[in-house]
Amino acid sequence: MLKKSLLGLLIATGIATCIAEGAMAQTPKAGGVANVIIQPEPPGLMLAITQNGPTQMVSGNIYDGLLRYSPKLEPLPGLAESWTITDEGKTYTFKLTKDASWHDGKPFTAADVLFTVEFIKQTNPRARANLAQVESVTAPDPYTVVFKLKQAFGPFIGIFEVGSMPMVPKHIYDGIDWKTAPANNTPIGTGPYMFKEWQKGSFIKLVKNPKYHVKGKPYLDEIYWHVIPDAAARSVAFETGKVDILPGGSVENFDVPRLSKLKDVCVTGKGWEYFGPLAWMWLNNRQGPTANKLFRQAVMYALDRDFAKNVVWNGLGEVAVGPISSSTRFFDKSLAKYKYDPAKAKALLKEAGYKGEKVRFMPLPYGETWTRWGEAVRQNLQDVGINLEVVATDVPGYNQKLGEWDYDIGFSYLYQYGDPALGVGRSYVSTNIAKGSPFNNVEGYSNPEVDRLFAEAAVAFPDSKRQELYNQVTKILIDEVPVAWLLELEFPTITKCKVKDLVTTGIGVNDGFRDAWIDK
Amino acid sequence: MSSFWKTLLRHPGAVIGLVIMAAVLFIAICGPLLFPTSPWRMVQRPFLAPMVVPGFPFGTDALGRDVAAGLIHGARVSLLVGLVSTLAALAIGVPLGAIAGYAGGKVDDALMRFTEFFQTVPSFALAIVLVAIMQPSIVSIVAAIAIVSWPPVARLVRGEVLSLRSREYVQAAIVTGHSNGWIIWREILPNTLSPIIVLASLMIATAILLESSLSFLGLGDPNLMSWGYMVGAGRTVIRQAWWITVFPGIAILLTVLALNLIGEGLNDALNPRLAKEGR
Amino acid sequence: MLSFVAQRLIKAVIVLLAIVVLNFFLIRAAPGDPATVMAGEAGATDELFVAQLREKFGLDRPMHEQLFFYVKGIVTFDLGFSFRQQMPVSKLILDRLPATLLLTGTAFMISLGMGVLLGGMAARRAGRWTDTLITTFSMVFYATPLFWVSLMGILLFSVTLDWLPSFGYETVGAGYTGLRHVSDVAAHLVLPASALGLFFMATYTRMTRASMLEVSRLDFVKTARAKGLGDRVIQRRHILRNALLPVVTLAGLQAGTLVGGAVLTETVFAWPGIGRLMYDALIQRDYNLLLGVFVVSSAMVLAFNLITDLIYRLVDPRIEMNT
Repeated sequence: MLKKSLLGLLIATGIATCIAEGAMAQTPKAGGVANVIIQPEPPGLMLAITQNGPTQMVSGNIYDGLLRYSPKLEPLPGLAESWTITDEGKTYTFKLTKDASWHDGKPFTAADVLFTVEFIKQTNPRARANLAQVESVTAPDPYTVVFKLKQAFGPFIGIFEVGSMPMVPKHIYDGIDWKTAPANNTPIGTGPYMFKEWQKGSFIKLVKNPKYHVKGKPYLDEIYWHVIPDAAARSVAFETGKVDILPGGSVENFDVPRLSKLKDVCVTGKGWEYFGPLAWMWLNNRQGPTANKLFRQAVMYALDRDFAKNVVWNGLGEVAVGPISSSTRFFDKSLAKYKYDPAKAKALLKEAGYKGEKVRFMPLPYGETWTRWGEAVRQNLQDVGINLEVVATDVPGYNQKLGEWDYDIGFSYLYQYGDPALGVGRSYVSTNIAKGSPFNNVEGYSNPEVDRLFAEAAVAFPDSKRQELYNQVTKILIDEVPVAWLLELEFPTITKCKVKDLVTTGIGVNDGFRDAWIDK
Repeated sequence: MSSFWKTLLRHPGAVIGLVIMAAVLFIAICGPLLFPTSPWRMVQRPFLAPMVVPGFPFGTDALGRDVAAGLIHGARVSLLVGLVSTLAALAIGVPLGAIAGYAGGKVDDALMRFTEFFQTVPSFALAIVLVAIMQPSIVSIVAAIAIVSWPPVARLVRGEVLSLRSREYVQAAIVTGHSNGWIIWREILPNTLSPIIVLASLMIATAILLESSLSFLGLGDPNLMSWGYMVGAGRTVIRQAWWITVFPGIAILLTVLALNLIGEGLNDALNPRLAKEGR
Repeated sequence: MLSFVAQRLIKAVIVLLAIVVLNFFLIRAAPGDPATVMAGEAGATDELFVAQLREKFGLDRPMHEQLFFYVKGIVTFDLGFSFRQQMPVSKLILDRLPATLLLTGTAFMISLGMGVLLGGMAARRAGRWTDTLITTFSMVFYATPLFWVSLMGILLFSVTLDWLPSFGYETVGAGYTGLRHVSDVAAHLVLPASALGLFFMATYTRMTRASMLEVSRLDFVKTARAKGLGDRVIQRRHILRNALLPVVTLAGLQAGTLVGGAVLTETVFAWPGIGRLMYDALIQRDYNLLLGVFVVSSAMVLAFNLITDLIYRLVDPRIEMNT
C-alpha cells in the first residue's frame, strides 16, 4: 500500500514537473506583468455572447463561473462556496460567496445567477442544451441558488465552468438589447482581472482586480495579450523574450520541440482535460463510397495514426480509441480495435466493391499543422487505392460545406466537456441530424439502438449503470465507424519557467491567471 | 529577325536569363518524367538536412517528403500558373485595349473607365478576395491573377493602337474598305506585338510572385505542389529547417530574375526598331 | 483647372460607387456568411442561434434591400456597423488607418527617394560598374518574394543580431511618451517599411534609369549641351525633371499596390493596419467591414491619382487635361 502511494507520488511529481515544483516548493510572489499570445484575435470579450476559443481564454480571467474543475474534472469552488446534490440527483443547491463584487463595485448576488440562466439561454446554444433538463431555478435568499431538474442528469454538475456559464451582471444587461449593447465592449465581470484596454490588431490589457473575492489573489499586476497573426513571428516573439506564455495552439506543432529545448522554457500538455479535444474525420454516411460500412472500416485500417501522432503532432496526444476521449468520463481503453493495416484496408475496399470512385476530402483550414496532417492522411488513403480529391476551403467555406453535407470526408475536432452526455452523444444520435451546423450529427449516422443507449445513459443513476450503457454504445460505434477517429489532441502550453502555477485546472489558461505568478 | 537575335545575345543579362530559363523549362518539361515519384510521398524521416543522406540533396520537409522532388514537380506548376494566367490576362487586355484605341470616343472612354475601375481596387487585395470566393484551386488562382493583371495590357495596347491608327497604311486599309476587325487583326496588332511580348515576359514573373504570395497566405491549391506552396508550407518551420523554404525561394527568385532579364533584353532588342518607325 | 478637378471628382465618385456595388455582390458570393463563421467559432449551434445571428447582421433581408441600405449609408459617409466586432466600421478603420499610412507612407518615401536617387546614379554612369551593380541589385530585389524578404529580415535583425523589434507598432506596456515614443515607433517601423519599400524601390530605380537615358537622347538636351550648360545643370533642370513624368505616373498607379502589399507585410510583422483588418474581415465574412476597407482604400487610390494628375500638370504644362 505504502509502496503504491509512493510510486503514485513519484509519477505525479514526474508528470507535473515545473508546475508542481512551483506549487510545492515556493510561496507565490505578488506583482509583475504577464505577456501572453492570443491567437487569433477574439471578435469580442463578452463571454456570455461570444464563445469562441480566444474569447474564452481571455475572458475566462475577467468573468467567473459558479464552479471550477480540477484536471480530473472534480468540481472546485468558484463563485459558489459549496453545493449539495439531493433528491436522488434532481436538486442542486449552491451557496454563493458573500465577498464577490462586480468590477464596477456592485455586489454579486443570487439575482445575478437567476438573470444569467435566462440570459445565456438566449445567447449560447450549448448552454441552452445544457439547461434543457432544468425545471426551475430559485433563490431562497440572496446567497443561495436552487436548481430543480426534471430528472436526474449526472453531467449537470459539469456545466458551471466559466466558459460554459459565465456570470452576467444583471444591473448592466437587464432590459437592454444585448445584441448591440455598447457594454459588450467594456466587459464587467467578477473575475480576478479587469478589462482595461483593447487596441484592435495589437493587444488586450487586463489589470488586477484588487477586490477579488479570494483574498490575496490574483498575484499579477497586469496581463497583456498580444495579437501576432503569423505563426513564425509568434515563436520569434517568445524566443526574443517579448512574450512569456504561448497558450496551446499558438505556435505550429513543428515548432514545439525546438522551443521546448530552449533555456528556461517549461512545457505542459495539461489544462485541456475539461475539453478533451478529439480529432476525427466526418465520413458522409448518406452517399457515395463512405455510405458503406466496409469502406469506412477500410479507412480506419488505412490511417497511420501513429505517424500522425509522432510526426505531425511531435508525439503529443494519444491515438483515439473511439468516440469517447480518455480524459472524458466513462472511457474504456479495452474497447480499442483498429491498428494501421493497409493490407486489410485494401481487402475491405475490395469486399466493399469500391472501384475508384472519386472521394472529396476536406482538410481543416486551421493553419499549417492541420494542412500537413491532411496531406499525410491523403497519402495514407491514396496508398490503399482510394481516389482522393482535396477540396480547399477557408473557415466559412468549410463550415458551410459541412453544414450543407456537401463533402465525403472532412477533418474536424470537437470538445467533449468532460461527460459523454455533453460532448459525445451529440455527434451520433439521429435526433441531432439537421442541416446548417458543423457540430451536430454531420455524418448522418442513424441507429435506433445507439439513440436509445445514449438517451438512457445520460439520465441513468448511479455511475456504474452509466458506464455499462456507454460501453455498449461505444462497442457498436467502433464497429460501425460512423466517423474515423484520429487522435486525442494535446495542445501544449509553453511558458518561460519563471511563470508558475498557470495551469492548475481542467481548463488550463482559460481561468489560469487567478493562481499564476511570476518568480523574480 | 537575325539582327534581333544578335542584339539580344549581345545583352549579357538576356543571355544569362535565357540560360536559366532554358534550364527551368527543361526541368519543368522533362523533370517529372525523370523523377516520376509523387512529391507528396513521405519517403524519409522528416526534417532531414540537405546532403546528409545520399539521394536527398535538398533534404526532406516536415513530413519526410523529398524537397528535390517538390522542386522538380513544382517547376511545372509554377511556370504553368505564370504562363496560363498571363495568356488569360492578354486575352482580356489585348482586345479591350485594341477596341478602345481603335474606336476612340465614347467607347474608348467607357472601356478606360472600366480599366480604371480595376486599377483602383488594390490588386492584391482583390486577388485574395477572388480566390477566397471561388475557394483555392488552380483555376481560381489563375483566374484571380489574370483578372488583376490585365489593365496594364489594355492600357499599353490602347496607346499603341491609338498611335498606329493614324498611320498611312492603316488609313489606306480603311479607304480600301476592309472591315474594322480585319484591320485590327492584320494591320495593327502585329505591329504592337513587340511591346506586348516585353510586357508579357514581365507579367509571367509577376504572376509567379503573386501565386507564391497567395500560397503564403494559405490560399494555394492543395492538390498541386508549386514553389509558392512549398515556401508557404515551410515558413513556419524556417528556424529548424531553413532548406524547405530557402530552395523553393531561390527557385522563384532565379526564375523571376531570368524572366525580367529576358524582358529587359527583349526591350532593348525590340525598341530600336520601334524607335526607327518614329514612335 | 477648377473645372478639371470637378470633372475628375465626379468620375471618381462614379468609379467608387461601381466598386461598392460590385464588391457588395462579390463578397456575398463567397461561401458561408458571418453567421456560419460565428456559429463555427462558438463550437455549438442550433437553428435559433443562426437565426439570431442572421437577423443581427441583417442577412434575413432581401439582397436589394441590404444594398439599398448600404449605399444610402455610404452617401452619408456612414460605413455601417461591424456586428462581429461590435463597433462602427468607420471607427475600426480610423483606428487602424494611421498605422497603415505610416507604414506605406514611409515605404513610399524610401522606395521613391532611393529609387530616383539610385536610378539617376545608374543613368549617369550608364554602362559602368556602378550602373551594373545598381541594376543587378534592383533586379534581385524585384524578383524576391516580399514575404520572404520580411522573414529573412526578422531572422537577421531581430533574432540573430537583436537590433530591432520583430512585431507590433510599439513596445506594448512600456508607456513611452514624447520623443521616446517616437523613436520606439520608428524602431518598430524600420523592418516592415524597408521590406515593403525595397520591392518598390527596385521598380522606381529601373524606371528612373530607363526614363533618364531616354530623355538624355532627346533634342532639347542636345541643344542644352550645345549651349555649353554644365552637366549638373542639365541633369537637374532638364533631364531629371522630364524623366520624372513616367515615374510620377507609376507612383500614382502603385498607391493601390502598396495597400495590397501591406496585407503581407502587416501579417508578417503584426503591424496593426488596415491590410490585416481587410484580410481578417474577409476570412470572417465581416461584410460591412470588408466593404468599408475596400471603399476607403479605393478612395485613397482615386485621391492619389488625382494628385498625381495635378502634379503632372505642374511638372509639364503641355499636357492636356481632358483625359
